[in-house]
Amino acid sequence: MSADVAVNVENLTIAFGAFKAVDDISFCVEAGEIFGFLGANGAGKTTCIRAICGLLSPTAGKITVAGRNVADDLMAIKTLVGYMSQRFTLYPDLTVRENIAFAGALRKMPARRILARSKELFRFTGFSYPQDTLVQNLSGGVKQEVALCASLLHDPAIIFLDEPTAGVSPASRARFWNLIKQLSAAGKTVFVTTHYMDEAEQCGRVSLMQTGRIAALDTPQNLKAANFPHPLYEISPSPAAESDFAAALAASGAGPVRPWGLRYHLEEQNADLWRKFSAERAGQFSQRRIAPTLEDVFLKLVGGGAA
Amino acid sequence: MKLNPAIVGFIKKELTQALRDPRLATLIFLVPVIQLTIFGLAISSEVKNISLTVVSRPGDYLARRIEERAVASGWFSAVRIDSPAAQDYATLLREKRTEAVVAVAPEGLRRALERGNAKIQLLIDAANASRARQVEAYVKNVIARALADNSQAPPLPPVKLDLRVLYNPSLESAIFLVPGIMAMILCIITVIVTSMAIARERETGTFETLISAPVSTGEILAGKTVPYILLGLAEIPIIIAAAVTLFGVPLRGSLFQLAGAGFVFVSTTVMVGVLISTFAQNQQQAMMGGFIFLFPALLLSGVMFPVENIPAGWRLLAYLNPLMYFAKLLRNIMLKGGDWGVFWTNIGALCAIGAAIAAVSAARFKTRLN
Amino acid sequence: MNFNAARALAIALKEVRHILRDPFTLALGLGLPLLLLLMFGFIIDLNYGDIGLKVQDQDHTRLSREFARTFSSSGYFRLEPFSSEIAPVSWLDSEKASGVLVIKENFGRHIKSGRQGEAQLLLDGADNSKTGVVLSYLAGIMDAANRKFAQTPPRNSPEIRTRFLFNQELSSRWFIVPALATVIIGLLGVLLTAMTVAREWENGSMELLLSTPVRPLEIVAGKLLPYFALSLTGTVTVYLAARLVFGVPFNGSRIVYWTACSVFITAALAQGLLISVVARQQRLAMQLSMISGLLPAFLLSGFIFPVESMPVFFRYFTMILSPRWFMEISRGVFLKGAGFMELARPLSALLAINTVLITLAVKKFKTDIEP
Repeated sequence: MSADVAVNVENLTIAFGAFKAVDDISFCVEAGEIFGFLGANGAGKTTCIRAICGLLSPTAGKITVAGRNVADDLMAIKTLVGYMSQRFTLYPDLTVRENIAFAGALRKMPARRILARSKELFRFTGFSYPQDTLVQNLSGGVKQEVALCASLLHDPAIIFLDEPTAGVSPASRARFWNLIKQLSAAGKTVFVTTHYMDEAEQCGRVSLMQTGRIAALDTPQNLKAANFPHPLYEISPSPAAESDFAAALAASGAGPVRPWGLRYHLEEQNADLWRKFSAERAGQFSQRRIAPTLEDVFLKLVGGGAA
Repeated sequence: MKLNPAIVGFIKKELTQALRDPRLATLIFLVPVIQLTIFGLAISSEVKNISLTVVSRPGDYLARRIEERAVASGWFSAVRIDSPAAQDYATLLREKRTEAVVAVAPEGLRRALERGNAKIQLLIDAANASRARQVEAYVKNVIARALADNSQAPPLPPVKLDLRVLYNPSLESAIFLVPGIMAMILCIITVIVTSMAIARERETGTFETLISAPVSTGEILAGKTVPYILLGLAEIPIIIAAAVTLFGVPLRGSLFQLAGAGFVFVSTTVMVGVLISTFAQNQQQAMMGGFIFLFPALLLSGVMFPVENIPAGWRLLAYLNPLMYFAKLLRNIMLKGGDWGVFWTNIGALCAIGAAIAAVSAARFKTRLN
Repeated sequence: MNFNAARALAIALKEVRHILRDPFTLALGLGLPLLLLLMFGFIIDLNYGDIGLKVQDQDHTRLSREFARTFSSSGYFRLEPFSSEIAPVSWLDSEKASGVLVIKENFGRHIKSGRQGEAQLLLDGADNSKTGVVLSYLAGIMDAANRKFAQTPPRNSPEIRTRFLFNQELSSRWFIVPALATVIIGLLGVLLTAMTVAREWENGSMELLLSTPVRPLEIVAGKLLPYFALSLTGTVTVYLAARLVFGVPFNGSRIVYWTACSVFITAALAQGLLISVVARQQRLAMQLSMISGLLPAFLLSGFIFPVESMPVFFRYFTMILSPRWFMEISRGVFLKGAGFMELARPLSALLAINTVLITLAVKKFKTDIEP
């Protein structure tokens, strides 16, 4: 196996009783990339990450992290990776300093090294509160930054972030993603799960998850290009639109139509039929050629209900 | 010797968490002393304050003397009732207005005695059977003395029994009970604090962070138990000091025995806490688990009633109870000066139980999610 | 304050769903009381027999043997003779006996000559549970011994006839079982509510509830109602076990008993509620309920150690404990057949405790909501 593969998953299945949370998936994460898992709650993202970090035993399949088999070399892998779980994993009744100290102690780091690293990381994240603040008194976004510092303390080569921005303000999310990009630029592998489309767009490669399976896996650009070879139009019905407008649009044969809020996205597969429909319903709508987004891809491949 | 930094980190973290909240710190350190004080002062296994009603005709001075004798003995308080003849004694007892009724012959005790067919009726509220039996003995004793005062030459009883209650000659109930209650309090606190500390990590999700670090199961177990063993050990001098200074409970044995017994017991109960937490998904279940352990442990500790009296099959449960051994050890060490034979047998039993619980806990303790 | 029953009921229904989905709580609420009662009903027997008594007979006469036999024939003691080389105290130091009886030399000769025969009884004062009992048997045994050895029956001694009311057989089980039911039901009520409500605070769902126009009293009522039903069901099983398995007589009125049960259960739940409102986190709530529930219910309620034997201050102090009052009612109704009139005092005390606890809980609740 080449040295620039960070995570390799082969035929991974994780079942809880009869329910398969992860169903026979295989993929590979290259060193230094930002790899995204995009999917709704319950799509199997967290379960998969837990198995890769060795927190769960897989029902079947093989996982290697940095060339080592998770089943055989768990301790070595745990020293190599950083993991920030979806649930809030700092102790609210401890201060920032105490939380960081404990995270370092768990990794058997000397006190001096913990101090130096935490200074470095706080500078990196821009954390500016007194370190004797109790974690329970910090805002959601700041807590996540501290949690990130705690998981980066031992300078892991591979970082797993499970929905790091869930329930955090948009401004904090933007800051957080800035940090993720800097980590990647510094040569770290970042494995991140999210259900925000705009976050997934920023990943090097994205895996679209649906009920334990991978629906598609590629760079966001390739996913869009591969799934939308035809022009995509945004159709906005005007107030004058007749009540059967939506049904007529779908039945026009111009191409698949997906509702998009109050508007519709139309993939123009048959230009002639589309021209015909436009003529018939002139004045009832306006149209705009748009570039497909990941959300279009997701809706096309996985269906509604996500994001 | 180099200490494992992960375990040291755990100790710092757990103790900070336990002691940061002043309410919890109070509960761990101050409340036991308060409880010890209350229970030590309040509880007595002696029968005291028996309310006694002597029903007689006005002017029956022998009956009056029984009453006076009773009050003078210190065990009784007299309850006078109006128009005794019209009263239904059972109702008096049912309403808890009195606990025992002495009814003498209607024509007066003196005349009845002279005629040689004196009958005294003694009615006792026997809801509490063992108390009733003692009340009966006391009342009979009082009657005998009251009548002996009357006769010219009170004959000495043929047998003179010299009764000595060793280790607590003045029958002070605090000395009887305090060592046992100390053991109970220590048991409750260590079991609860430990089981909750682990269940809390599982419930809030911090457990995931713990096991994502390269620490072994043994290190996590040690990290979650050592701080609480220390906490329990810190509690021992506090409650011993309270027992000795507030109640004058003697400390006749060696401190080595006390420390050894304390260490083995606290380690065992902390392991019980771990065992409970391996069954619990959340703190609520941990608490219920704690209750399921503590309820029998307290009842079968030998502090409330003797273990030897439990039916044979059930007695096995008592022999599995770490609290029973520790209560016995504390009493033996504090009051009797610590017999080495007793010390080693009970420590041995405690160690065996502790080791068994530790083994089961370690086997059940999962450092994986499921 | 207007109270909307529909809203309280909605909260109650939500709570019922929680309970039904959590088989653990359900099993505890229903099964545990029964299990504990069955176990400890059989285990706790305060009528001790078979107490090991070491006997050193230094006299070896017919009378000395007869004196020792008085102890064994009482049915309470098992005699274990030992030789005179061993120091009597060593049996107690090494926990090998609860008491040692030493019959002194010339015991028999002294009695025959009209003097007093001497004996010594050493009891283990470190073990309160046994010493108290032995002392209670002793008076009767010595009475019998003295009667046996007396040369002339004392004149003028009246015949004392004792009637043990409410429990003629002096069964300690009759005394323990109704009280055990009290301890179990009360404790479970406190624990269940304390933890559930504290949990809602901890995971933030209480805030959600408070953001709706529900009034504190409605939340309180809604929270208590399902646990009330659960505890009451537990009480029924316990009652049936007491009657059918242990054969405890029920001499009182069922209306009185179930009324009192309801009031007592409410008090236990209210105590749990108050704890959870004060603590707001499960760890603290659990410590508080164990401390205010477990040990006082065992030690201060009159369960085993009678309230009557406590110093004056504590006879009043224990009045704040609801188990103490229900203990009195439970025993009163089961054994004595007491009715409303006889139980007016404990019943009104329970009601007062209820009022105070609920008022405090609702007040604390309100001040927490209003900033």
